[in-house]
Amino acid sequence: MSWRNWNQLLHRDIGFLCVGLTIVYAVSGVAVNHIHQWNPSYSAERSTANIGPVAGDPEDLRTAQNILERLGDEGKLESRFRPAPDQLQLFVDRRSILVELSSGQVVYDRAVPRPLLRAMNFLHLNHPKKAWTWLADLYAVALGFLAVSGLLMLRQKNLQRGLLLTAIGILTPLAFLWLYL
Amino acid sequence: MKNMLILSLLILLLTPLSVFAKTFGKGVSLKETTAISAILDQPERYVGKTVQVRGTIVEVCAKRGCWMDLAGDRPFEKLQIKVTDGEIVFPLEARGKTATVEGVIEVNELTREQVIEKRKHHAEEQGIAFEPKSVTKGEKSIRIRGLGAEISGI
Repeated sequence: MSWRNWNQLLHRDIGFLCVGLTIVYAVSGVAVNHIHQWNPSYSAERSTANIGPVAGDPEDLRTAQNILERLGDEGKLESRFRPAPDQLQLFVDRRSILVELSSGQVVYDRAVPRPLLRAMNFLHLNHPKKAWTWLADLYAVALGFLAVSGLLMLRQKNLQRGLLLTAIGILTPLAFLWLYL
Repeated sequence: MKNMLILSLLILLLTPLSVFAKTFGKGVSLKETTAISAILDQPERYVGKTVQVRGTIVEVCAKRGCWMDLAGDRPFEKLQIKVTDGEIVFPLEARGKTATVEGVIEVNELTREQVIEKRKHHAEEQGIAFEPKSVTKGEKSIRIRGLGAEISGI
């Protein structure tokens, strides 16, 4: 088998192997690019309510339980905090409940994970570390191979077009470097 | 066989990732824990020193997970843990959990303008209202440059 055939075969098979991770990196790449506009891993939900003035000692567990009862929240109280003398913050499951004791004004904050995106970002940003780092390095090497082997697949009839598009692909980031660096 | 493979992939993608996410950054290794109240009372004593603190997480950066506030051991007090963007990401669902954190104490004197800028940025991140007129003077900023953390219960 000639080197061209080998090149084509490896390009094709390594390309198949890279499909999954390329989709992960592409989707997560767009998501984390806009991190200043949104949280790519969680959606934050906020709502308000009023339960009327809260009596009782804010340090007393019964006061916190009383607030949850009045809110109709059956979640398990995990912890509480007093940000200010007139405030009590309760943490229930994934919710933060901030209560202004004198007015009874309540602010509910809930963090809802975006299941698929969160998983993709987790991998893309290399949060697992350990063995995943090696796999991600291997993927990067494979992408490099796909780029070079793709160039080597150029035939005479497509040479001009291929070189032009390759040049555009290389010059585009260089142009941005010239503009912004 | 094919169905099993698809099912396994789906389970892997949808499994809560919290099982992997208990240790952040370099983790924790110091034997002694310093009370947050002690740091807030005498910050100059701890500047530049690496300490370990423990407390309930009461707030997490809603956009990047690049900081979190730990409740102090006295009411109405908290201490911010700031980490390098992307290097450590604290999950939003960590609010209410207990964290043990190690890092270096930083103390900075902020002017009124710097305080306004800081609170404005914080309000934008957290999606809350902020009135610049509420800031009348500068303040001392005390925080921990976080190196590692362990969060239990996530």
